[in-house]
Amino acid sequence: MAGDSHITRGKAYAWALAASLLTAGVATLLRHVLDLANIVMLFLLTVFLVARWLGRGPAVMATFLSVALFDVFFVPPRFSFAVSDVQYLVTFAVMLAVGLVTAELTTGLKHQAEVALQKERDAHGLYELARDLAGVIGLEQLEAALGRYLSGLGFEAALHFLDDQGHLPSLADKPLPLRLALMATAQGEPVEMDDPGDLSRLVIPLKGPMRVRGVMIVGAADLANLATDRQLLGTVASLVALTVERLHYVDVAQASQIEVTSERLRSSVLSALSHDLRTPLTALVGMADSLALSRETMSEATRSLAAGIRDQARAMSHLLGNLLDMARLHAGKVQLRREWQLFEDVVSASLHLLRPNLGDHPVQVGLPPDMPLVEFDAVLLERVVCNLVENAAKYSPPGSSIEIRAFVDGDRAGISVCDQGRGFPPGQLERVFGLFERGQAESSTPGVGLGLAISRAIVEAHGGTIVAANRPEGGACVTLRLPLGTPPAIEAEPSEIQEKKP
Amino acid sequence: MTPETNVLLVEDEPQIRRFVRTTLEGEGCRVFEAESGQRGLIEAGTRKPDLLIVDLGLPDMDGVELIREFRSWSEAPVLILSARSDERDKVEALDAGADDYLTKPFGVGELAARVRALQRRRLKGLEASPKVSFGRVELDLSRRTVLRDGQPIHLTPIEYRLLGVLVGNAGKVMTHRSLMREVWGPNYGDSGHYLRIYMSHLRQKLEADPAQPVHFLTETGVGYRFQP
Repeated sequence: MAGDSHITRGKAYAWALAASLLTAGVATLLRHVLDLANIVMLFLLTVFLVARWLGRGPAVMATFLSVALFDVFFVPPRFSFAVSDVQYLVTFAVMLAVGLVTAELTTGLKHQAEVALQKERDAHGLYELARDLAGVIGLEQLEAALGRYLSGLGFEAALHFLDDQGHLPSLADKPLPLRLALMATAQGEPVEMDDPGDLSRLVIPLKGPMRVRGVMIVGAADLANLATDRQLLGTVASLVALTVERLHYVDVAQASQIEVTSERLRSSVLSALSHDLRTPLTALVGMADSLALSRETMSEATRSLAAGIRDQARAMSHLLGNLLDMARLHAGKVQLRREWQLFEDVVSASLHLLRPNLGDHPVQVGLPPDMPLVEFDAVLLERVVCNLVENAAKYSPPGSSIEIRAFVDGDRAGISVCDQGRGFPPGQLERVFGLFERGQAESSTPGVGLGLAISRAIVEAHGGTIVAANRPEGGACVTLRLPLGTPPAIEAEPSEIQEKKP
Repeated sequence: MTPETNVLLVEDEPQIRRFVRTTLEGEGCRVFEAESGQRGLIEAGTRKPDLLIVDLGLPDMDGVELIREFRSWSEAPVLILSARSDERDKVEALDAGADDYLTKPFGVGELAARVRALQRRRLKGLEASPKVSFGRVELDLSRRTVLRDGQPIHLTPIEYRLLGVLVGNAGKVMTHRSLMREVWGPNYGDSGHYLRIYMSHLRQKLEADPAQPVHFLTETGVGYRFQP
């Protein structure tokens, strides 16, 4: 095709005509030397050559022309279509048949050879593309290699990638291509876009082994070209998809490598911080406490100063614990040590820990005896309950009671902590869980608003929810709910069953 | 006659050593100090202390290793000081043979109380009595009876066994694992929820307010402690 493409159709027929006439001329000159049978051969040779070089149409025309020229110029009576010997009708028929078959076969063969050549070129091109793509280490390089390859075929292409939410951000402001691209990715099949006045385009999904990665939009002057090379473009799209996926996993591997390194750094910084800050605080608490409890003669004022130092150092240590926990939780790398256990343990342990800080707040605990086992990290949940109870004590008037209640609510089990204070500022019930958020903008109550933020982070890490509310009768209520799940079976003691019988 | 208690304190921070020493001397103890794990092992061998206090965050060796070594030849009580909030270290140290722990920062009152309790346990071990009473409960180990306010309380065999183990280790922190092993045997390692259920039963039956227990205390993430 490539060698003949400059010969137009009309020219091909003209050449066929000329060849036939030339053959007739040469044969006329050799008329006395050659038998009629050999002259027929000359004509057939011409038909064959025409078929070989000029294609099927000119060859068919040359066949008919040859039969006619042979009849008129060579078969007696010459210069007339009349035939004296009926035998020549057989010659004509055979000549016609051989010519047509030759034309058909030759052009078929030639076409096949051309197709094979084209396929070989395609395969070579694909091989080179694959080799280029195997070496790319970024999407820009991928696009450049693809552009080089497709422009060799007379196409232009653009790549658009799906993000994690399944959107195509690079097409966001082009509604029609976006719609077609989403259609292509959804169906997993190419979609044609024939845009009048512009290039015709084919939208091919990039199907990687794991998932569809995006689309390749190929443009060409003519939709017909796109149609013939559709299979080839499909293969190219697969190669591109594989490359995109490979690049994606290279990114993932690098990201996790970086994450591991930075995680190690972060946790070593945190534990160093924890140790270096807690050691002097421990000494401070211990020494101030020694002074406060000292048996030596000291004025009451001095003693209470020492106690004040001790309490402040303790508060600072508590704050430090909250801050470090928050840092760990924010890094998202807290491994929950979940076990099936009872709220009872956590609530009682929290109250035991907080007893010295609760002052004169009476605590009412409502724990139904038949509470189910819930799966949670006891240490973290204890921090939540401690924070909630401490907040309740902090933000309610001295002497008012604090209520802790455990309950089952559908497929969740929860704990609520309520006080009789002023409650949360209305309209800020969600905001109180924000980092460093406190109910009142400026308050004399100590402690940054870290407690609720940590509580929320811990509860959410358990797949639970935490909400703040104001009670109609006054006071704040914070309620956490954890999923119940399926607790492990408890086999009753055999003797217990026996003893129930009379 | 009350023999003077020899205490070995293994702690790398001099300021902490100072106030712990003062407190212990106030309790009438004789205090030996070691600033590293290696030094601690040598001191322990020569001083033969009646009480070992170990910081878990020693620079040169793991405190747990020190406890294990010490336990291989001494029965004396061991108190851990732990700056780490990670409960796993405490559990490991307790399973290695430590008796109790204090989380930094701690007050001298707490320290003195723990040390006194451990001393009491050491002396009490010599004169075991079959009768134990706490709160409004009386337990007679020889007759296997439990009375609350003078009324007999029915305990299932497992509840009774659990109570027996806790009372036998009064004041000591028992890890979940050691309680499971003593009550259910070594094959129940993964069924910690049984322990929690039975502990809850004991509280329901023996505590005045099961939601705010004063005898059957939870050491979150570590285990339980029975406080007579």
